Amino acid sequence: MVRIKNRYIVVRIVPQEPTKVLNFHDGVLTKCVLRNVKKYQGDYGLGIVEHGFRVKYCNERTKVAIIRCLHRSHRIVASTLPLITMIGDVRAKFHTLYTGATIIQCNKFIISHQQRFLDEMVGQIASAKERKDFIKRVMEFDLEQ
Amino acid sequence: MEQTKPFYDLCIPYQKDEKALREIIKEAISLGYKTIAIDQVYDHSKRDTTKRVPDIFPAPVTLKQLEEEFKSDVKILRRLTIIYLDVGVAHAMSNSQNLKKFNLIAGQPKTDAALTHCCTTFGGDLVTFDTEAGVKLLVNRKAYQIGVKRGLYFEIKYGPAIRDTNIRKDMIKLAHNYCVRGKSKNLIFSSGATNPFELRGPYDVANLAFIFGLSEDQGKNAVNKACRQLFLRAESRRIGKTIMFVKASGPIIFTDTSESEEEHGDSFREEISSEESEIDSQEQPSKKKIKIL
Repeated sequence: MVRIKNRYIVVRIVPQEPTKVLNFHDGVLTKCVLRNVKKYQGDYGLGIVEHGFRVKYCNERTKVAIIRCLHRSHRIVASTLPLITMIGDVRAKFHTLYTGATIIQCNKFIISHQQRFLDEMVGQIASAKERKDFIKRVMEFDLEQ
Repeated sequence: MEQTKPFYDLCIPYQKDEKALREIIKEAISLGYKTIAIDQVYDHSKRDTTKRVPDIFPAPVTLKQLEEEFKSDVKILRRLTIIYLDVGVAHAMSNSQNLKKFNLIAGQPKTDAALTHCCTTFGGDLVTFDTEAGVKLLVNRKAYQIGVKRGLYFEIKYGPAIRDTNIRKDMIKLAHNYCVRGKSKNLIFSSGATNPFELRGPYDVANLAFIFGLSEDQGKNAVNKACRQLFLRAESRRIGKTIMFVKASGPIIFTDTSESEEEHGDSFREEISSEESEIDSQEQPSKKKIKIL
């Protein structure tokens, strides 16, 4: 059996003005990346990238997202990400955290990354209930398959 | 040798506004950079020839407050970029005291003759290019090969390339010229960012290697190993051929040997570290022999 190889890129979205919550969903990210691939790599690049491209996960609190693309086309996507300066209608940039071959590895990485994020953020929240709520919201990790 | 940690960003232009500079350094730390260089620019072609001053190069600016603040997070180096037209700069460089205070020295040639001189006999460590005016100068193969042999490094700035389409095109042209002339040896990436938004994470920068015509390995080295090599080279230029050097990190007190050393143990601490050079490896066997005898 031939296996189709994928690459999963874990990115963090860094807006220019720091905000608590981003109101992005997967569609906006997909459109933004594909539009920029077309801008910087032309029709050829878009043709290679478009098949198999998908945003798998997007957390609004921690601003972490997973982008899936086919092996070989991931170099085009990865080299386009640093050139992006606008996401949707917000001035923001991508910060590549990790590139993995399976989503499980990405999952492991994100969990450790989010724990670090929680350590920073929990100290700023006063009430216990809010804190519990916040931790739950951040750590929930369900992939819309 | 002095310790530096990856990742490196060897060009952050100096700004008078300390607040803006602090913002950039903070952003660089949060992205994962451990060594950065603050860049000052000196234009040799615009100097006042009527006045005779002992040292035409400026002294490094004092950044004591910033250095203290980020002491544990990041190592701040100093860098001077010399813009010049003709070879006259070489004489001034040979007897300047201020130049020794900088960690890195970069040359930015403006003419073809200067570029050839920059690659063949220039006393600095880094060759950089003007991003604003467009790339009109391209290195020819011979000069590039000589530069690589001498251990010079060539810089590509990605910060302005993100900002502007024309600069991006020029930078790609420049990078592909290196690729064609000599397999993109001795290239480093640096930001040249004037605001925090232009900085990118080290992995992002390594990924940019794809559009600049470098291989994946070369791309990673361009923000990591190559910069370390460059730093070592610059350091050896500064202090000459050495096997080890002693650096005092406190007030130096000379004492009689008859007195007990414990008294001054706290105030005087010395760091001895051996340079990672060829001389070192050659010297060691002979030392061992002496000990055995």
